[in-house]
Amino acid sequence: MEGTSGGFRKELVGKLLQLHFKDDKTKVSGDALRLVAELLKIFAVAAIRSVRQAQAEDLALVDVDQLEKVLPQLLLDF
Amino acid sequence: MGCEHLEGIQAKHVARCPARGRRDVRAPSCRRGDGLRTWRLKAAVHYTVGCLCEEVASDREIRFSKQTIAAISELTFRQCENFAKDLEMFARHAKRSTINTEDVKLLARRSNSLHDVRDRPQARVYGDSSITVPASLMGQLKYITEKSEELAQFNSEQRAKKKKKLEEENQKPVEPAEAAAAKKDNSSL
Repeated sequence: MEGTSGGFRKELVGKLLQLHFKDDKTKVSGDALRLVAELLKIFAVAAIRSVRQAQAEDLALVDVDQLEKVLPQLLLDF
Repeated sequence: MGCEHLEGIQAKHVARCPARGRRDVRAPSCRRGDGLRTWRLKAAVHYTVGCLCEEVASDREIRFSKQTIAAISELTFRQCENFAKDLEMFARHAKRSTINTEDVKLLARRSNSLHDVRDRPQARVYGDSSITVPASLMGQLKYITEKSEELAQFNSEQRAKKKKKLEEENQKPVEPAEAAAAKKDNSSL
């Protein structure tokens, strides 16, 4: 199912979300945490691949210029 | 760099990656007042994004600049804030204090609808034709959602079976008592 083996740990995702909750009582269920971790991974991989795609064939290094080009579309899609 | 999302990215920060101690990984930038907790979380995100970059870069002769990895991890970190706030609002709207999978599915609604139409030429912006297009990345999210729903349904079925079994077992000792009581009533008539 997964093309890439790396990913965001559930514990990390939980802490990341907790950081921005306005209410202290807000919690996240285990399954929801798993899904958010997957969503974040999809987001990061989409950013990485789109930047690589925007990379010209002759350059071996991917730089922020490519990221600037793909950022608007990436953010609109999410 | 004019885009506001790239503000605060300072490439000159050099530090050991807290996760592995690798000197070549640049630390995420932090604004004043962010705090140690935020820095630690950013560093953890940075490390994970770095790993993902390495995986994507490994099948080609390509490298990602440190600034790019830093920028993408900062992006991911900031996107988390949007996710967190939206999820909290969705749960609150449903009068719950615990965020569940329905909230997450609602969060991903836009991505799903965009990439469901496979003929869209823009969908290919994210990937080569040889690698699976994001339609399947979104499909993965859908797949996980379906799987978690299957699991939830399976769990509830198991619980229902257990409950039924317990009820059946509870009725057995009651029956002879009822029969005895009925017998007693009959004899008194």
